[in-house]
Parts: sequence; structure tokens; C-alpha cells
Amino acid sequence: MSIPHLNDDELNLAVLGEDLPPEVAEHLAGCLVCVRRRDAFLALVEEAREADPDEATRAGVRERALAAWGAPNGRHWVRWLAAAAAVLVLSLLPLRFNRTAPLSAINVDAVMVEVDQMLDRDPLSAVAAEEIVDAVVPVSAESGERSVS
Amino acid sequence: MEAARRGDRDAAETLLERHELLVFRTCRRLLPAGEDVEAAVQETLLRALKNLGRFRGGGSFGAWTVAIAVNLCRDRLRRKRLVPFLPLEVRDENGADPLASVPSSDPNPERVAMARQAVQRLRMEVSLLPTRQREVFALRFFVGLDLEGIATALGVDVGTVKTHLHRAVQRVRVAVEEARP
Repeated sequence: MSIPHLNDDELNLAVLGEDLPPEVAEHLAGCLVCVRRRDAFLALVEEAREADPDEATRAGVRERALAAWGAPNGRHWVRWLAAAAAVLVLSLLPLRFNRTAPLSAINVDAVMVEVDQMLDRDPLSAVAAEEIVDAVVPVSAESGERSVS
Repeated sequence: MEAARRGDRDAAETLLERHELLVFRTCRRLLPAGEDVEAAVQETLLRALKNLGRFRGGGSFGAWTVAIAVNLCRDRLRRKRLVPFLPLEVRDENGADPLASVPSSDPNPERVAMARQAVQRLRMEVSLLPTRQREVFALRFFVGLDLEGIATALGVDVGTVKTHLHRAVQRVRVAVEEARP
């Protein structure tokens, strides 16, 4: 018993390369008429495809798209962040090197009391370092006192 | 892909090189004659670059870019209220018929002429298809996407693609066969 030629639905499946029922696939494998109908349509579609653009055209369009894309978007925020950080650092630098307390914050009376106490203990400390004073005014071994001038 | 997302120009260029042909084919087949295909392709590629962060990787990047191209073509058609139309005789930028320059191995001029008429007939039938069928047919046969790729590009499921594709093939194939002498 011979199987009839493919109907429209079966031929569409064949054109689309989809699975056919086994008996239909078997018929297609041995039927020149059905194979020619399928192949003729596919060949026609292939001919109707226009040629792809040449490399120069492709490269030109690609280049224009990349140029319009411009500076990579992902790096914009990094640049802004770096600029903001630089501004912040520069504005904080003076504080780092100028730590003098304001005059209004200094307790002058307390400082003067401390100076007086220091001079009471060692009047020469206000003049020079201790080793210099020792060289100029030798300490007597007996008394252990320093001259007070 | 990740490098392109970070803004690496070379990576972006490589990405475009791999997929731009799909966009060219899509725009050429979905835009009507007279529309600036290169401008549409350039705009599509630019949109793809600007929206790289939105690509989730669920489907192929190629199908994703084709989806952008399809939407852009639809927008242009809507904006200009253009009816998709593929001319019976396709002309290149020099006004020449590209088919005429294709060398034919057939020495019979009559058969060559008939073959060209058949191609023009097919193009016309495709242009007369309903929008969704036309898109599906073009993406399958002219762009070369598989069913999943078409589904991604059009934002529909594979079953819907199959349905439209079968209807489109049926209509075009029968019309072309009937037109044969």
C-alpha cells in the first residue's frame, strides 16, 4: 500500500524541519515529488534573502554606534566619585596642618600659674636646657645646689 | 559581556561584531523600502550598548538585540504610519536590480526570468502577511533565528511562534506554487 503525497500541513512541517510522523517521514525519504516541492520552496526563500552588507558598511555603522555611545557609561560615576573625593581631601588639608587652638580657647591664667610653678622649681629652665645650664654652672658635689643668679 | 558592561570599548566592539549581522538582516526585512536601514541598525546597536545592564542572559544576546531591532522597526512604522512593503523589484542604492547581477548557471534566459519572478512573488507575499506572521517568517528564514530566538525577540512563547510560522509558510508557499506556470 502506497502512502499518498504529503498534504499541506505535512509539507509545512517538512519545510520548517520539524518532526514528521514516521510514515510521513518514510514517504518523504522515497518520494521525489514531495522532496522537490519542499526543496523548491526552500531554495526560493534562500534566493529571496538579500546579500549581507559588506564589511566596510558594517564597520562604519558599528563605529558610529560606538562613537555615539561615547565615554563608557559605567565609568561616569567613578570619575565623579574620584573628583568629589579629591575636592574633599583638598578642603580638609588645611585643618591637618593648622591645629593651633584659637586664642579664645586658651586659659591664660592657668598657663601663667603653671609657668610660675616651673620657675619656682628651676628658674634656669626658662633660659636654657638643663645640660647647658649644668655646663655653665657646675653643680657642687657637696651642696648639690645650683647657683641662683 | 562583563567587560563591555564595565565600559570596555574593545569588548563592546567585539560584541557588536558578533551580532550586528542579525540586526542588519532584521532591519532590512522589517523596514519598508526607502527607510534608512543603516540608521536603524546604528540606533539599535546604540540602544543595545546603553542597555547592556538590562540584559539578564536568559536568552541569547543576539536574540535580545534582534528584539531591540524589532521594536525600533515597529516604532518607525507607527511613527510614519508606513505600511510594510517590499517592492516587487528590489533596487540597490545604484538603482540596479541586485538579482540581475547574480550569475545564473542556467543558460535558459526564460527560466532565469521565471526564477526571478518567483523570488519577487515570494517577497510580495511575505510583505502582505499580517504583521506578526511577517515578523516570524522574516526572523526564521531571512534572519536565521531558531524558534527560541524568535520567541525571545518577539516576547512570545515558542508555541505562538510555531503557530504564526505555520500559517505564514502555508500562505506564502501555496501562493508561490499557484503562481508557477
